[in-house]
Amino acid sequence: MTPRRTNPLSPLIQAAPALPAAAVFLLGPGAGMISRGGASVIALAIAGAIIGYAVFVGAAWLLWWRRTYWIDDDGDLRLDSGLIQRSARRLQLSRLQSVDVVAPFLARLVGLVELRVEVAGAGDSRIVLRYLTRADAEALRTRVLAASQQADSIEPGAHSPVDPLALVPSGRLMASLLLRSVTAALLLVTAVLLVMTIATQGPAGLILVAVTGGLPILSVATEFLANYGFRVDRTSQGLRIRRGLVSTQARTIPPDRVHAIAIVSPLLWRRWHWVRVTVTIAGVEADQARPDVLIPVAPRAEALRLVAEVLPGVDIDGLPFESAPRSARWRAPWSWRFLACAITPEVIAARSGRLTRRISLALHARVQSVRVSEGLWERRLGLATLHADTAPGPVDVAARHLSMAQVDTLAAREVAEMRRARHL
Amino acid sequence: MSFGGDPFTAPGSVGGGSSDGAGGSGWVPVSPRLATARRITLLLGYLLVIAGGVGIAISPLAIGWLVAYAVVALTALVWIWWIIGRRVRSFGYAERDNDLLVVSGILIRRLVIVPYGRMQMVDLTAGPIDRWLGISTVQLHTAAATTDATIPGLLPADAVALRDRLAARGEQRNAGL
Repeated sequence: MTPRRTNPLSPLIQAAPALPAAAVFLLGPGAGMISRGGASVIALAIAGAIIGYAVFVGAAWLLWWRRTYWIDDDGDLRLDSGLIQRSARRLQLSRLQSVDVVAPFLARLVGLVELRVEVAGAGDSRIVLRYLTRADAEALRTRVLAASQQADSIEPGAHSPVDPLALVPSGRLMASLLLRSVTAALLLVTAVLLVMTIATQGPAGLILVAVTGGLPILSVATEFLANYGFRVDRTSQGLRIRRGLVSTQARTIPPDRVHAIAIVSPLLWRRWHWVRVTVTIAGVEADQARPDVLIPVAPRAEALRLVAEVLPGVDIDGLPFESAPRSARWRAPWSWRFLACAITPEVIAARSGRLTRRISLALHARVQSVRVSEGLWERRLGLATLHADTAPGPVDVAARHLSMAQVDTLAAREVAEMRRARHL
Repeated sequence: MSFGGDPFTAPGSVGGGSSDGAGGSGWVPVSPRLATARRITLLLGYLLVIAGGVGIAISPLAIGWLVAYAVVALTALVWIWWIIGRRVRSFGYAERDNDLLVVSGILIRRLVIVPYGRMQMVDLTAGPIDRWLGISTVQLHTAAATTDATIPGLLPADAVALRDRLAARGEQRNAGL
């Protein structure tokens, strides 16, 4: 494969963020400078924005011109880039972790996508190609997969019509976001404040309304856009997740890299038996393109089917939970009945929460260390908390406020299971 | 395998035992020089407190304020001095066949169990005061950021030997992430 450049329209898109920046500049100090010149402010503002954009496009074009990628004879993906300081990046595709086609909003307007190729390794071990036509991206994705000797597992790409494992209807997504405990409480407060403000005609309340009403609406909107059209498919490399309205994102979760999962059910969702499932994946810190959500909202049975895909052989409803003793009610008066811990041959599980119930599980083979902590109040009651430390991620496996004797046995069992899991 | 009802009881010893973690037998305690190091740091911090006292003395405030300030500062000093001693005595570690155990803490007691096979890195560090007093800190890292296995106050020879033993056992048992 000969070295080639990304799509020539790329600089135009990459420089686009400069447009609002130029506009903001012109609204502020720039406007003052320009109006002193005496010419029409609007004409100058437009001219300034265009010139500013052109400068950024020029810079982006130079970088684009110097950026080439290819797959070399060793089957490595190479990227040479940089105008003055050249950098040569080389990804060993035999260690391929994921290759995803992502369509950010602006790029999608002109029919382009970006391709993210990631290999196993610490730190920044990925190449992001901005931007390619959809056809080029799919072709390169196929070549990358072929080079990684997984040619047999090529998926038909983003348009696969096969039945998804799970789909989140937008109505349910919106309802679930509105019914999150904090959001719902804030919206309720907002409603009360609005009524009170209208009744008393006081203007001060409106500022509070803007905060209590604005924050949840903002977070609901963000989450809705990010998780719109959430869809999970089974591929031979793992579960493939696609989501997003303004920019679509795709990501594959290989089952052997799942370290821990949490099944969360907020109070107001339980009427419909909805749950959310989050995952901790090795070496992957959550960012926009790497969701730590396996499913944002689904009926429990459907969610458990997804969990079974990544944790085969674990019966979530049949976990042999050992509950916290009665004395825990002095430490956790609300939730003590739900505090529990279970150890099966595959996983350690912890249950917690009253309003938002949560079951967290970690695979023995992935648990890094076992921690026991005992606060002053816990000691008075003869209680302790058992933590199973896993790779950084959203899932925290902590069995809180169990009796000392329980924690003692559980810790010893967990350590034994951790050793056994690695020797298999 | 169990710790005999109380996970903070030293491995090997069955039943009760001291609740100060390292007080019982079985735990290897850390050097009392660690308390000296921490007390020196405390005294250095108290230079600021003294400066505050001087500030009050030269200000037009009544002498009563200075006395109250001194009483509070001295009480705090004595109390922290004593806490440092207990906290240092609470540290202990034990090397078992397959894992390392570390205990610490007075108000919140902590026990960390790190299987040798899960260790990714062993750090050996010593600050300027530590070096002057001849102690070092050994810290174990796993793939989990929450693993908090730090053993401060080791004599340099012990620290190096411990690090090398841990590294050797880790290599032997390492199964990767």
